Amino acid sequence: MVEIVCWIAAIFATMLGMASLSLSLPNHWRQVTGIETSLPSRSEQLSLRILGYSSLVVALLLCLAADHPTMAVLVWVMLLSLAAKGIATILTWRQHWLKPILWLFNRSELN
Amino acid sequence: MFSSFRQAMAWLHTWFGLTLGFILMVVFFFGSLSVFDREIDRWSIPETRFEPQVMPSFDEMLLPILRSVEPNEEDYNTNMPLLHDTSQGPMTPRTELPADEFWAYTTHRDPVLIMGVGFRVPQPLDPEGHNHIHGNITIDPRTGKALPDDQLKIGSKFFYPMHFSLNWNWNRIGIYIVGIAAFIMMAALVSGVIIHRKRFREFFTFRPTKQTQRSVLDLHNLTGMVALPFHFFFTFTGLLIFASFFFFPVTHTQLEPLHKYHEMVEANETGLPHDRAGVPTDMASIDAMVAKAKQRWAEKDMPGEVGFLQINHVDDANSYVSIYRAGSDRVALVGEGMHFNGITGELIREEPPRSAIAETEEFLTGLHLQHFEHWFLRWLYVFGGLVGAICIATGFIFFVEKRKRQHTLQGSSGSQVVDALAVTTVTGMLVATVSMLVANRLLPAEMVGKGYWEQVVFWGSWGVMLLHAFWRSSAVRHMRISPAWREQSILFAVLAVAAVILNWITTGDHLLKTAFHYWPVAGVDLSLLVSSAIAIYAARFLKRRENVAVHKAIEFSAQNLEASRG
Repeated sequence: MVEIVCWIAAIFATMLGMASLSLSLPNHWRQVTGIETSLPSRSEQLSLRILGYSSLVVALLLCLAADHPTMAVLVWVMLLSLAAKGIATILTWRQHWLKPILWLFNRSELN
Repeated sequence: MFSSFRQAMAWLHTWFGLTLGFILMVVFFFGSLSVFDREIDRWSIPETRFEPQVMPSFDEMLLPILRSVEPNEEDYNTNMPLLHDTSQGPMTPRTELPADEFWAYTTHRDPVLIMGVGFRVPQPLDPEGHNHIHGNITIDPRTGKALPDDQLKIGSKFFYPMHFSLNWNWNRIGIYIVGIAAFIMMAALVSGVIIHRKRFREFFTFRPTKQTQRSVLDLHNLTGMVALPFHFFFTFTGLLIFASFFFFPVTHTQLEPLHKYHEMVEANETGLPHDRAGVPTDMASIDAMVAKAKQRWAEKDMPGEVGFLQINHVDDANSYVSIYRAGSDRVALVGEGMHFNGITGELIREEPPRSAIAETEEFLTGLHLQHFEHWFLRWLYVFGGLVGAICIATGFIFFVEKRKRQHTLQGSSGSQVVDALAVTTVTGMLVATVSMLVANRLLPAEMVGKGYWEQVVFWGSWGVMLLHAFWRSSAVRHMRISPAWREQSILFAVLAVAAVILNWITTGDHLLKTAFHYWPVAGVDLSLLVSSAIAIYAARFLKRRENVAVHKAIEFSAQNLEASRG
């Protein structure tokens, strides 16, 4: 039971990680903001990447909590793929789902 | 020939990908099915729908059964004349061959127990060789009853070998073809990343509303990149598993004397006799050895069940018994083997801890062969495999979309042929697979050669899909979408639902009964239904796209006509 909770948490953590990383790319940033000219500033890009990579690390820790390390690494790598595919799907059909991450930056033009 | 490195890579990626992509499609799809090969076995052989069992008592149940096994007739007829030395007398009749080796194998997903006997050739041509004629049997470990040999284990004996050998066993050519395809896959991955390296800036992009060529390329790049670690590691470890096979088989040609010498040295070092003593002796209790082995594993902090048990040199003074642990709790295929003297029952040898290299190798092959118990990771592997299949399929469609206009103007049928072959390997393969499952439920269980006819249905329906794809492909020449894609999707959807209903009618196992109670069968049924729904959705989507394409094609020919009139 514990491992199932860890896996679900890990799925969310990888999704959050991939979402932040996607927003740090100007193309996807524009997709979510819906503003053609909008760009993440250098500091925003950096904080998005830090949030992104650290979520992925948290996900790895969650996987390690659920399984034998050799197995956990495999689960984590596969979850990275699943999350990347999931975020790509969201960016295609449900961009606005990623807006809450933008609220972190509290920029008036984005709201 | 090429003005830039990138162009050279694009050429390599396009042409090698196209030619071997059809093989890779089969490998990826059947690889994904093989993740659940044992579950498909349960679905296809209803007599075996019960919970996995631990290995039963060897002395009381398995030994008497093994003693009653006869050598396989086909194996005897093919190999006995090759192994027997005629100068020493006539061939020993099939049923009089003495047993030399017994084995039994089970996994945490197998309710049934697979066992086999290696029979000795008494007067061999090459006394040093591996002179065995085999006889195998599958039993129900609860009762010891033999399961009919005629029933094909569709998952583990057809879909799984399809994954690595295309079921083409002539001179093992299938394994070589898949090996070459895997090698090309590695090249395609590297060259693909080089061609599309700019894509990292728009890593998560998929634009389904753009024109087909654009959106298909998006999907190709996306599926290739998001699962890149999976694609790379599975291709690599797949090659690794067969490495000794793909390299020239030197151990049995140039290095044969060294190989034999190594076997002798190893036998000396391990104390496990290499040859029979030739002195008939009664054997000790195997169950006692199993108990000892389990106790040793528990002491080493890895309690476990027996996965594989083998008795070498049966009924001989030199006999020994090897007992391996079922490795369901870790990735590496570790046996923690224990070897016992078959006459005295003493422990002769316990396998020492492995070197770092051996551990790495076992981890890499283990992650591919997945003997472990982890349903979540299994599904993630299915996801990876299917994403790979999407990547290959979209590669074909991109090839066609990019060239069909040009081919139409030149009067070339290139893209038409590629499109027809793509239909055959994508939807045609699905139809063939599900037709086999339908045939499995329609043909009576007691039918002689049932497994053979199931395979006939598989290849036959695939052949029909090939013909259908070519018949309908002329649309591509007129800049339209081949209706074969849609028609085969519908056929697949119908057959998949039929398979689920037939399973219910013939066995009484419907989803309300199996869900939460017997996942192997419920899982196959649910997967069939979900696939069917996706196929229906795809067919409707294709219908809309076909209509759009018709309008475009009319415009295109009108322009052509005007242009030719000048």
